[in-house]
Amino acid sequence: MITFQNVSKAFDSLKVFNDLSLHVATGEILGVVGPSGSGKTTMLKLITGIVPPDTGTVTVAEGAVGYVFQEPRLLPWRTALDNVAGSLRAQGKDKAGARAAAAGWLERVGLAGFEGYHPAELSGGMAQRVSVARAFAVEPRILLLDEPFSSVDTVLKSSLMDILESIIRERRATVVYVTHDLGEARRLADRIVEIVPRRGVRELGA
Amino acid sequence: MMRSTTSHRRSLYAALGVAAILALWELLSLVVNPAIMASPVDTAKALAGLAWGSRLWVELLITLKRLVIGLAVGAGAGLVLGVLAGMEGRVRSFLEPLRWAGMTIPAVIIAVLAMFWFGLGDFTVIFIVALIVWPTMYVNTVSGIRSVDPKLVEMGRVYHFPRRLLLGEIYLPGIASPVMAGLTLSTGIAVRATVLAEVLGALSGIGHAFYRANSNLDAPQLFAWIVVLLALMAVIEFGVLRPLKRRVLRWRKEAG
Ligand SMILES: Nc1ncnc2c1ncn2[C@@H]1O[C@H](COP(=O)(O)OP(=O)(O)O)[C@@H](O)[C@H]1O
Ligand SMILES: [Mg+2]
Repeated sequence: MITFQNVSKAFDSLKVFNDLSLHVATGEILGVVGPSGSGKTTMLKLITGIVPPDTGTVTVAEGAVGYVFQEPRLLPWRTALDNVAGSLRAQGKDKAGARAAAAGWLERVGLAGFEGYHPAELSGGMAQRVSVARAFAVEPRILLLDEPFSSVDTVLKSSLMDILESIIRERRATVVYVTHDLGEARRLADRIVEIVPRRGVRELGA
Repeated sequence: MMRSTTSHRRSLYAALGVAAILALWELLSLVVNPAIMASPVDTAKALAGLAWGSRLWVELLITLKRLVIGLAVGAGAGLVLGVLAGMEGRVRSFLEPLRWAGMTIPAVIIAVLAMFWFGLGDFTVIFIVALIVWPTMYVNTVSGIRSVDPKLVEMGRVYHFPRRLLLGEIYLPGIASPVMAGLTLSTGIAVRATVLAEVLGALSGIGHAFYRANSNLDAPQLFAWIVVLLALMAVIEFGVLRPLKRRVLRWRKEAG
């Protein structure tokens, strides 16, 4: 469950959100579309709490948050396995347990055999799959996806979306899926909203 | 293939550079009064004498011990303070005057002051070395911390990395490269500081032996101690620092 209540957010003089109210039910997959610079990433950051609202409140259900960034954002000095294991260790799992679970998730995203590779040795698509594995590994109650496949080519994108979709269906996390591609949103989301710059959101239906 | 050819060519030119220095030295020693300029051969003889009589190893060990302790204390302090200051602006502002003073006061002043306080000996040398070395490591560490990719830090915060993991997984590996550069710089400074401190404030060690050779007008020994210093630096740089750097920054290599 995620609720925005009369949220306003500005960066200096740039108003990104003005009195935004929005509710995402538990287990719902919300697609968020909007042009570049409209505030999609900011919306996700408000949900994580790393960016506080100027006014209003953002309420998020208890539990782990998985986040797939616009770019893979892996630690270049850690292997694929330890990048995934890191998010688990942050939850208090011991190193061995974290690695065992991480290996399972890497296999799940089709990266069995690449556990010991460093990010620079992986292609962009593979790195983004590690990032997906990292997000799922924490067993998220809330899953935030920020244009996760925007830098991946079309063929790969389709197979990544299949993986994502199957995992999302079985986990029943609350998902906010940000994209600037309406077609992508339609494929995955239960409901779609469009961010109208400097206003708020407009429902687009599914 | 490419790499090994280039590195071979590089070592060839480096060897030529060494040969040029030796040739120039030989030439100078032919022209200049041998009482003030020992020839390479005389220097080698003096060096052999020192090594044979074990004097060389005794002084070398004494100097090495002071160097390592002084460097460890100074660079360690610079690293710890640098991490704190890099992560916390208030600590940085607080330490800024100290850093400025540390970098501005001439090494000789620090050395003389330390002798004035503590007399001659190990502690004085170590104190001088640590005090001269810390600001370099500190500055490198601070700028390293501040240049850590903010996106990775954001990732750590999103995944609720506790302080221990933020430091161990993101900040410390993120500063490994500038810290290694700082350590290399610091080591060079520490060697110079150790010798300076030994010339002024000790009755043993390479610096003191050099000083004594000078008092005795023993040119071959004087030059022999210089060669010892260069050899010491070479062993530290190529035997310790470079392999360490290669190990610490291994993840970069694998990308290639
Ligand atoms: N930390 C920040 N400081 C200043 N401006 C920002 C910051 N984060 C985002 N912005 C601005 O807010 C607007 C929305 O950004 P963002 O949420 O990243 O858009 P989107 O993800 O939809 O492309 C942009 O104009 C961006 O420049
Ligand atoms: Mg964005």
